[in-house]
Amino acid sequence: MTQTAPTQSEQDALNARLEQANRQLLQSEKLAAIGQLAAGVAHEINNPVGYVYSNLQSLESYLNDLFRLTEAVDSAASLEDLRLIKQNIDYDYLREDLKDLLAESREGIERVKTIISAMKDFSHIEEEEFKLADLHRGIETTLNVVNNELKYKAEVVQDLGDLPEVECIISQINQVIMNLLVNAAHAIEEFGKITVRTRHIGDTVVIDVEDNGKGISEEHLNRIFEPFFTTKPVGKGTGLGLSLSFNIIEKHNGDIKAVSTPGQGTCFSITLPVTQPDQNSDD
Amino acid sequence: MIRIQLVDDEPNILSSLRRLLKPQGWQIDTFSKVEDALGGLLEHEYAVIVSDYQMPTADGVTYLQFAKQKQPNAIRLVLSAYGDRESMIKAINQAEVYRYLSKPWDDYEVVAAIKAAIDLYQLHKENQRLREENDAQRAMIKAREEELLRLEADNPGITRVKRDADGSVLLTDD
Ligand SMILES: Nc1ncnc2c1ncn2[C@@H]1O[C@H](COP(=O)(O)OP(=O)(O)O)[C@@H](O)[C@H]1O
Ligand SMILES: [Mg+2]
Repeated sequence: MTQTAPTQSEQDALNARLEQANRQLLQSEKLAAIGQLAAGVAHEINNPVGYVYSNLQSLESYLNDLFRLTEAVDSAASLEDLRLIKQNIDYDYLREDLKDLLAESREGIERVKTIISAMKDFSHIEEEEFKLADLHRGIETTLNVVNNELKYKAEVVQDLGDLPEVECIISQINQVIMNLLVNAAHAIEEFGKITVRTRHIGDTVVIDVEDNGKGISEEHLNRIFEPFFTTKPVGKGTGLGLSLSFNIIEKHNGDIKAVSTPGQGTCFSITLPVTQPDQNSDD
Repeated sequence: MIRIQLVDDEPNILSSLRRLLKPQGWQIDTFSKVEDALGGLLEHEYAVIVSDYQMPTADGVTYLQFAKQKQPNAIRLVLSAYGDRESMIKAINQAEVYRYLSKPWDDYEVVAAIKAAIDLYQLHKENQRLREENDAQRAMIKAREEELLRLEADNPGITRVKRDADGSVLLTDD
């Protein structure tokens, strides 16, 4: 018996399963990426938590000194005694340093807050809807999340143009940018430079992520978007980052490509339409 | 005066450690750039060096290896937010660090570790001083012995002069 062409309903079922499998793949790549980042984020948070915590203990000892002074107001025999205590606790230093202590601690807490909210923005897993979004905010969020992977490898330069809000699934675009940034950092051997550039061209926007790392050889260049293609050691590379990025951009009716000169660097460019073509018309 | 060098790329960490250590009365030098910290090694003698692990231009272990060349006596500590086994092993094996402390830290633990490091530094120094004194004394004894040998060669018997109980030379032959 010859195989018959699948019926329309079989076809629909297959498509739905494919769609489902794709979603799961996207999801697991995202979780893997977040897992990989978690260690880095812990490091980012341990620093501010470290100094804020220690500052609080210093603050306690400062306060004890100040209380010693104020309580002596009742018990001291003379003004001279009070002055002596004030000198003893190094009042002038306390007063000056208290301001710094508080400002630095506030800065530390702000940083933890920024990292946490970036993580939250980033992991909006359920979000599947196209919405108008500010890509620059997305880039900012992503940079915050991957900061730890980048700061020891490269200086990050932002060259941001004037962008309109873009109709997209921002959490997915963030993930693409994250993949590009992490790849760029991996490509840099010592300490390099990563440039994130944006511009508005007609009814599209373009985001470039450029690095001055080791580049991609010609025979690899046309394979990098293949699933599971990786040149990295086991544990470091999954070979899924770019293939998923490609899927995401395709779903956004956009375009992603790479230009590279081995030994000099690589530039990935994403082009996205500002507004999505009418969703209903094509299915 | 006991001098401590603190190296961390995060200035706020340096301020908080400075606050923490101020009551101890040690001289604290802080550096947020590895290059400057290297410069500091040429200017002052440190009892203890505490370095962060992950820094932009050089990791803490590399820096401490340098410091070990320049100031072998300074006791080395790592204060790291990284805390994986690999970095710890590297620190211990390659830079021979005395303690590996993690961020966020316990104030008491940091102060205690630095105090212990200072004790060790002073012990090493004292040891070294005694050894040098010992060597100097040995050299003196050796020089004296050589002088005696030379005298004896020039004037046989001169080093074997007999003396009586109160130290005066006996001229009688026996
Ligand atoms: N910026 C870049 N510079 C050099 N090589 C790159 C860059 N980005 C990607 N690549 C190459 O493309 C391969 C596939 O990338 P990706 O799909 O993100 O997977 P992974 O990063 O897990 O290897 C990488 O292993 C690397 O060889
Ligand atoms: Mg990748």
